[in-house]
Amino acid sequence: MKLLIVEDERTLSDSIVSYLKQESFICDTADGYASALEKMDLFDYDCILLDINLQDGNGLELLKELKNNRKTDGVLIISARNSLEDKVSGLQLGADDYLPKPFHLSELSARVTAIIRRRNSAGNNILHLEEIHIDTQAKSVTVNDRSLDLTRKEYQLLLYFAYNRGRVVSKNAIAEHLWSDEIGGAANYDFIYTHIKNLRRKLVDAGSRDYINSVYGMGYKFA
Amino acid sequence: MKLFTKYSRVNIVASILALLLGSIGYYFIIRSVLIHQLDDTLKVEEAEILDYVKTHDRLPEPANYRDQQVHFLPAQTETPRKFTNANRLDQHHQEDRYYRELLFSVRAGGQLYTVSVATSEEETEDLLEWIMLVTAAMILLLLGTLFLANRLLLRRIWQPFYNTLEGIRQFNLSSRKPLPARDNGIEEFKNLDSAVEQMTGKILKDYEMLKNFADNASHEMQTPLAIINSKLDLMIQDQGLGEGHLRQLQAMYDAVGRLSKLNQSLLLLTKIENNQFAHADPVALAPLIEDKMVQFEDLIRARNLTVQTILENGKLRMNAYLADILLNNLLINAIRHNRDGGQLDIRLQEDALVISNTGPALLFDPATIFDRFTKGHHSDGTGLGLAIVKQICDNYEFPLSYSYTSNIHSIRIGLLLQH
Repeated sequence: MKLLIVEDERTLSDSIVSYLKQESFICDTADGYASALEKMDLFDYDCILLDINLQDGNGLELLKELKNNRKTDGVLIISARNSLEDKVSGLQLGADDYLPKPFHLSELSARVTAIIRRRNSAGNNILHLEEIHIDTQAKSVTVNDRSLDLTRKEYQLLLYFAYNRGRVVSKNAIAEHLWSDEIGGAANYDFIYTHIKNLRRKLVDAGSRDYINSVYGMGYKFA
Repeated sequence: MKLFTKYSRVNIVASILALLLGSIGYYFIIRSVLIHQLDDTLKVEEAEILDYVKTHDRLPEPANYRDQQVHFLPAQTETPRKFTNANRLDQHHQEDRYYRELLFSVRAGGQLYTVSVATSEEETEDLLEWIMLVTAAMILLLLGTLFLANRLLLRRIWQPFYNTLEGIRQFNLSSRKPLPARDNGIEEFKNLDSAVEQMTGKILKDYEMLKNFADNASHEMQTPLAIINSKLDLMIQDQGLGEGHLRQLQAMYDAVGRLSKLNQSLLLLTKIENNQFAHADPVALAPLIEDKMVQFEDLIRARNLTVQTILENGKLRMNAYLADILLNNLLINAIRHNRDGGQLDIRLQEDALVISNTGPALLFDPATIFDRFTKGHHSDGTGLGLAIVKQICDNYEFPLSYSYTSNIHSIRIGLLLQH
């Protein structure tokens, strides 16, 4: 899987690259409009991470350019301007998703993976995690072909872990993922604990290995 | 006291004083002129008597007319010629009358006489009385006209001032319009208007700059926050980190999370203030509230709250995104500041949305509850949730109020549901 990260903030794109390359992504970076345009022209990417505010241009123009050239690369917009208009115009121009800054790398990884999976699925909606199979179309989960009855939150949690396999995901990232921004603060850590406890129990009861490990109470790792 | 009341008061008192003094002076002048005329007639009479005596060397017949009396009195010594005012009994009317009298001596037939020629002042007095009456009437007329003119004229002259004053009173920062200077033909008011125009223009510019500053600052903060977040996300992947380090990282996560939430709330507040969510649709509130309750079921269950909802159907014309934020903030607030096992009541009526929750009394002044950064010490919120609610209500001119009775906090938003 090949990604292009268009971000003029070097430190941030470094972080993104080092997080995503663990997930067998090949990451290319561009730190401005011109270099991004060049790379987009030369190569095909599975997904382009596009910052809107670039020093030498607007990311939305890049998106227009891309669509004019009938390229089919997936596009995830990352923007410091969390504005509804940017989001709407970005999605109208053909972006697949919109992620406002600041974000968690685990969230970014989940969104990128989801975009690529959506674009490449072609009838194959099943995500395999050893004995656990997740059907992202039907939103159902089976363990050793036995169907699992999960709540909406538990399903979202499992999918999030699947997209961030082998990496520690912080409670903060999980909270933001499950409840978006509506519930701020540490108040929801207890709910995360409850949901994870239930999810683990259901998986283990269905005969799966216990993949979810707590990391000193600050996060979880699916490994 | 109004300016023109004060002005007319001073003006009228001064006019009365001047007219009073003038009338007194006028009275004495007219009087002396009239007396002088009487004296002239007396002198003519004197000349006639002297002429008669010179020719005939005897006194003429004393002739008393109604207005003029002539008396001859034998005298021992010469009387100096002089005019006097005398008070005499009038035979016809049996009453005292003022007379002007000329005394002089004349020698006739070897005998010295004192001659008194007197004429009644009655006519003079009458005339004077009339003159004074007419004068008094004139004064009254003058005062009346003056008063009315002051009232009408001043009110009209000051009208531009009242217009400007009303403009200042109505001046609203969010309308983005400075008060325009109007040409009203009066130099002073023109100056006032242009000064007000300049001032309001400057206020608006400063306000705009300050807002843009806040907006830009918030945006500029997003990228560094994203960097910190991403570095934390990478750090926790390090297998070699001990529990102590991870705890510290957790604290950093929480702090960065709070900072970004704060930042986003400030940005949102500025956007609502700037009316950037102008698009409005009829929004059905009841289903939206029900959705929210599903969304918050974890929170509600965790606090073991008893929820009661009474929802009228009906739509409200507003921006859908703002409606979502409004309900979100109100409900989060009512859940977060509830007590465990408490109550949450949501009532959507034809004319109001009332959200009530149990909870201890506020530790701060309830009047500041909708102000920015007002929050209890125990709260880990941003202190902006209700400020955003207030801003949204202000934009739509929904009356918003808070009350606390018998351990129940209530927030009421006045609105009008349409069917």
